[in-house]
Amino acid sequence: MANLLRQMNGELAAVAGEARRSLVTIGNGRSGVGAGTIWHSDGLILTNAHVVQLSAPLVSLPDGRSRPARILAHDDKLDLAALGVDASGLPTIELGKSKQLRPGQWVLALGHPWGVAGAATAGVIIGMGPPPEMGWPNRELIHASLRLRPGHSGGPMVDTHGRLVGINTMMAGPEVALAVPLHVVKAFLHQALA
Amino acid sequence: MTEVLRAVSDALAATVEMAGSGVVRVEARRRLPASGIVWSPDGTIVTAHHVVERDENIAVGLPDGQTVSATLVGRDPTTDLAVLRAEISNLTPPAWVEPDSLRVGHLVLALGRPGQSVQATLGIVSALGESWRTPAGGRVDRYLQTDLVMYPGFSGGPLVDAAGAVLGLNTSALLRGISLTVPTPTLHQVVETLLTHGHVRRGYLGVSAQAVRLPKTLVEELGQETGLLLVSVEPDGPADQGGLLLGDTLVALDGQPVRHLDDLLALLSSDRVSASVPVRIVRGGLLQEVKVTVGEHD
Repeated sequence: MANLLRQMNGELAAVAGEARRSLVTIGNGRSGVGAGTIWHSDGLILTNAHVVQLSAPLVSLPDGRSRPARILAHDDKLDLAALGVDASGLPTIELGKSKQLRPGQWVLALGHPWGVAGAATAGVIIGMGPPPEMGWPNRELIHASLRLRPGHSGGPMVDTHGRLVGINTMMAGPEVALAVPLHVVKAFLHQALA
Repeated sequence: MTEVLRAVSDALAATVEMAGSGVVRVEARRRLPASGIVWSPDGTIVTAHHVVERDENIAVGLPDGQTVSATLVGRDPTTDLAVLRAEISNLTPPAWVEPDSLRVGHLVLALGRPGQSVQATLGIVSALGESWRTPAGGRVDRYLQTDLVMYPGFSGGPLVDAAGAVLGLNTSALLRGISLTVPTPTLHQVVETLLTHGHVRRGYLGVSAQAVRLPKTLVEELGQETGLLLVSVEPDGPADQGGLLLGDTLVALDGQPVRHLDDLLALLSSDRVSASVPVRIVRGGLLQEVKVTVGEHD
């Protein structure tokens, strides 16, 4: 049994390591950072709208280079933003199926909680839908039992295959993470960049 | 590449789907609905007492999506349990298991259905202990605490083991801020009592009392600062028949200290009904002991 747990730990680390390759840091030259997820190898980056509220975002790529970013599209209601940086050959992440997430299955969230770069946290899917008691009856979000902290916003949420299923967004209460599901992200990009 | 991780993750999700067929939505309060567990195919549902805020106009949401009306069979505030009867048959109860082989560190799931679909959180067993008495006076067969996140609406839902069997009913109201489970044996006992009698028996003394400060010498001798002064004793009631008098100060019942009214209420539990118990009193400044046969509250 201990062997199984060790193997599972190794696999968790592998999934986190893989997902970290598409994780970027988004700063604005002042204190506080957010996260972002590389969507396209030619420099398309996804994050939360609330991460780039201030102008002139600066993106630090996984290889350490920093690039100023242009805000290509943003939607405050969905809390999504698409950024463009001048780069090519960036590592991208395999896409998962957010409509097929099942309560109880494991997910990992990557980001920079309190500025700790590339940190991983794991939990299970609680369910999908509008968050209870927050007054957003029509908002579709992933609910996961893990703790997001300042700096996680905009980072990837991945399944046990390491495939992207959502964008980390906020907490609902002290214990429950909310993420924008991938299919909502896709629809946003389709509409914003078509 | 990630075989074990995927296998465990898939198994967890499959467990949720399997056990989820026995989890219903309970609509019996103004804010967010809560959860309940199918007790038997005939529509009997067990849920948490504190989520059933009204006695009428109760609805139950089933796994297949339909919503049916339900009536309150009975409730036991001391263990935070309530039983409902939904107007439906051929429900699927989950597999129940007694938590005898459960150990600290075991993976467990909490399931809920505050909305249409089943929801889940994962955690481990944090603490296991012997039988205990809730602040409201209910006897629970064992202490079962987890580190599970009790998402809004999860109260009344099941604690599920890795095999998908139900270990008990989760409630966030027995002890505030701690995820506790009422284990299957207590659940069985309370549900059967509620189905038979509609309520859980409570002990009765037939007195009115108020907490008073004890004299200094007694404080040192008893290790408690207050007792209960009897301000009325019902004629021919259990206390009267046992020889308790107006003006006596109750300091212990059945070997347990009585400092406040809550202590006495907690001690007048169903298992003490009809039992002859020693009662320690202060009368004329002196400690005395009398025997009282606890009556039943109606």
